[in-house]
Amino acid sequence: MKTLQDLLVLADKLLPKSRAIRRIWTASLVLSLALVLLPWLFKLNGTQHADWQQFLGRFHPLAVHIPIGLIVLVPVLEIAGKFRPALREAAGFVLGLSFFSCLGTLALGYLLAYGSGDTGSGVTRHMWGGIALTICVLVCAMARPWWSSGSVPKVYPALLTCMLLVLLWAAHEGGSLTHGSNYLTAYMPAPLKHVFMLGGTPGAGSFYAKHINPILDTNCVSCHGQSKTKGGLRLDSYEQLMKGGKDGQVIVAGKPDTSLLLERVTLPADHKQFMPAEGKPPLRPEEIAWIRAWVQQGASPSATTLAGISIEEPKDLPLQPVGDYSGFMPEIRQMQQGQGAKLLQVSKNPADGLTLNTVDISGSFGDAQLAQFQKFAPYIVEADLGRTAVTNASFDTLARFTHLRALHLEGTGVTGDGLAKLVPLSQLTYLNLSGTKVTEASVAPLGAMKNLHHIYLYNTPARPAPPAEPTPTIARNAP
Amino acid sequence: MKQHPLCTDTEHGPTVMDLPIPAGLKQEWATLETRRRFLGRTGKVLGWAALASLLGDRWLTGDAHAANAGKQSAVAAEQELKLPNFAPKAKRAIYLFMSGGPPQIDLLDYKPNLAALYDKDIPESVRGAQQLTGMTSGQARFPIAPSHWAFKRYGQSGAWVSDLLPYTGRIVDDLAIVKSTNTEAINHEPAIMLMNTGNMNAGKPCLGSWLAYGLGSMNDNLPTFMVLQTKLNEKENNQPVSSRLWSSGFLSSEYAGVGLRSSGDMVLYLSDPNGVDRDVRRKMLDAVNTINHQTYEELGDPETNARIAQYEMAYRMQTSVPELADMSKEPQSTWDLYGPDAKQPGTFAYNCLMARRMAERGVRFTQVYKRGWDVHGNVTGLLPMLCQETDRACYALVTDLKQRGLLDDTLVVWAGEFGRTVYSQGGLTKDNYGRDHHPRCYTTWMAGGGVRLGITYGETDEYSYNVVKDPVTVRDFNATLLHCLGIDHNKLTYKFQGLDQKLTGPVPASVVPGLLA
Repeated sequence: MKTLQDLLVLADKLLPKSRAIRRIWTASLVLSLALVLLPWLFKLNGTQHADWQQFLGRFHPLAVHIPIGLIVLVPVLEIAGKFRPALREAAGFVLGLSFFSCLGTLALGYLLAYGSGDTGSGVTRHMWGGIALTICVLVCAMARPWWSSGSVPKVYPALLTCMLLVLLWAAHEGGSLTHGSNYLTAYMPAPLKHVFMLGGTPGAGSFYAKHINPILDTNCVSCHGQSKTKGGLRLDSYEQLMKGGKDGQVIVAGKPDTSLLLERVTLPADHKQFMPAEGKPPLRPEEIAWIRAWVQQGASPSATTLAGISIEEPKDLPLQPVGDYSGFMPEIRQMQQGQGAKLLQVSKNPADGLTLNTVDISGSFGDAQLAQFQKFAPYIVEADLGRTAVTNASFDTLARFTHLRALHLEGTGVTGDGLAKLVPLSQLTYLNLSGTKVTEASVAPLGAMKNLHHIYLYNTPARPAPPAEPTPTIARNAP
Repeated sequence: MKQHPLCTDTEHGPTVMDLPIPAGLKQEWATLETRRRFLGRTGKVLGWAALASLLGDRWLTGDAHAANAGKQSAVAAEQELKLPNFAPKAKRAIYLFMSGGPPQIDLLDYKPNLAALYDKDIPESVRGAQQLTGMTSGQARFPIAPSHWAFKRYGQSGAWVSDLLPYTGRIVDDLAIVKSTNTEAINHEPAIMLMNTGNMNAGKPCLGSWLAYGLGSMNDNLPTFMVLQTKLNEKENNQPVSSRLWSSGFLSSEYAGVGLRSSGDMVLYLSDPNGVDRDVRRKMLDAVNTINHQTYEELGDPETNARIAQYEMAYRMQTSVPELADMSKEPQSTWDLYGPDAKQPGTFAYNCLMARRMAERGVRFTQVYKRGWDVHGNVTGLLPMLCQETDRACYALVTDLKQRGLLDDTLVVWAGEFGRTVYSQGGLTKDNYGRDHHPRCYTTWMAGGGVRLGITYGETDEYSYNVVKDPVTVRDFNATLLHCLGIDHNKLTYKFQGLDQKLTGPVPASVVPGLLA
């Protein structure tokens, strides 16, 4: 009895009192209904429509950031408004603005999908995400007055939370469309991947799984996949690849010259039908050669090797990206201007890390100088300490260089005591101890480092210089 | 109006340089306002105006924005420039240049079937319409001269190597032998220019200069790019090798190769004259630098800065070069490896050892020239001599780099400017023959960082005349070398004469994936 009464009280509070408010509510309901019915009015069935629609639609990826920014701002303003009431006044305005920008962005997005004839479950999900979000924002805007008047305190915060969750989902779906669904997880550390169960593909040993699928995955699947299916063609699995698309089969086993896929990727890059389209990077020549050989030899899903194609497995680990050291860049640049030990970037890609270069002052670079580079330790992938004055005492410092891949200690005074401290450096693949006094016993612990493929002990007690080989004679006459 | 320092007209009144404006603006003024620049700019402005009227202003404004942004980020770009495009496999390179054109048929391109064709004429169909050099185009016959030497298979890769190169045979598993290298030039000068600079005409920067420009220095005390010449052997047919081959062309002269002499002082006038000690030298340099800085501020010619940098480099080289040249600390195993020749400065073996020492000291690019491969006649007399001088040193260099752990990130290249003909130039006898220049195929090899080792790449026909599989043009060859060093050949460019100039030239070049590890 009590609860029923409560409900009646609540309903009384919620029901619009004035006629004007009632009208606004009605209009909102009609609008929401229209949005929900939109996909039935304009069907996304894979047919392309007018070019102007696509032209306008392509502003969607740009415009989409406006409602995102505004929507995120709303709860921020509401919370901050607790302390500065003026901000809370702004929140209502921002919410209204969010709604109208949502509406505009939704229209552009719909034009994009409708105009280009994009289909796929990802497009559908993103569309529903957009529609749901717009309705959420509208409902929030309508419910806000109850909250600000203090009559119903809980509904509006709950709605806001819903709105943020819907935003997160819709935005993620959109991101997956442009960048590909594995964009977020591609560089996820292996243990995390394990947690999220993003394992390898089935039949992982075959040539298709090891070489063909990854090429398609990187270059094609963002447009020809489950999320977006241009031309009705999906290339994300073996079955889909062999099935083909609207224009028929793209792979004809044994006949590379009649396989449409090979034809499209080998057209001149400025050809209208060249794939990958829209300025995405073309396939590399060897990738095309692998696909050609694979098709030529039957396009088998299970064959593990192909005649005439040998792809060497990379023996070295790929370079693990290092963290962000941009805060240190002014200091690093200053070092580079002067003479002496300096840090050099491995390449234009900052994630490739830094090299510690000491060759300019090798004679005066000792343990103390090395210790000064400790703060850069996680960003250094190569330490060139050849012929410097460092000693065994430096192994403590070097053990902190967690991303170290190559370590040059040739011609230094190290004798090997403490070399075992380097064992935890899991990424170390190269260690040069030539011309030092290390012994067989002191390098023995390094055997535990499974990635250390290149270890050099030339001219050390551990491996004395080989005796000179006999001199061959040069033939002067034909036999 | 700015007055040129050489102008004798007196002019009064304040100039732009006296205005209280930022130094950067003065700098720009100094660079821009010469008559030549003014005329050049006028021409461009008129051109743009004409283009604007043709295209409508939409196109132009876009471009202008880009140009503006480009100018502002020029400083940042300067910093960014000297970095590889991607993580490189090789940090440095040693290029053993066999000037004159080694005969591939006698060294690495084994053609056993030729023995049966001794003194037969090479079929017209093989030769095609190729233009020959003036030295053999008048010959009535083109008799096939099979190699005088036997070949053996070596290593796990089973590569065939001539008995002339027994040492090279030992390292075939560390080499990528390219049998399908081919060039467009048939005479020494254009061919050697093409190989080194990507263009047959002089004036373009060479590979080493591009590397110095694109990757910068690893050692501030030694030049980034050094050239070692091998002492002449007067019995051989030596073609001239000029400093054009290590010129920086239109790049700043900082990036030119520093040639070391094969005898006497390695660098002329490097040591201080009597009565001048290091302090005096320092004071003198400071004074000269001050004057040069003034000149730069006035005229804005970047070559002035290059000159200042070179003076400073020379000063540092006064200590670094003697240390480099001091081989007294080399262990006996070194001499056992390189052989007795390595003790004599200027020999090819000595230069190879020096190249290894430079690699250790962070010299980015070392080029060793060996002349004398131009064997137009007396092949059986000359070739054993040439191989004796080079074979062991090549082997020693690769082996030495490998045992010291340097081959992982050093690229070693062995190449000439073209190959030699299968047919004999001049008379063919059982004991001797000559070989003319042959651009259509020749054999080169690479070793070290980034290269797929233990392979033979490309094939030639049974006459070693035409490439039948996997041709590698000079520009592909150079693109591949750059790739090993972390450079995308299409991205290492320099704007000059209205073009984004690059080592591989305007014709599309591609990295040879089959050669890469």
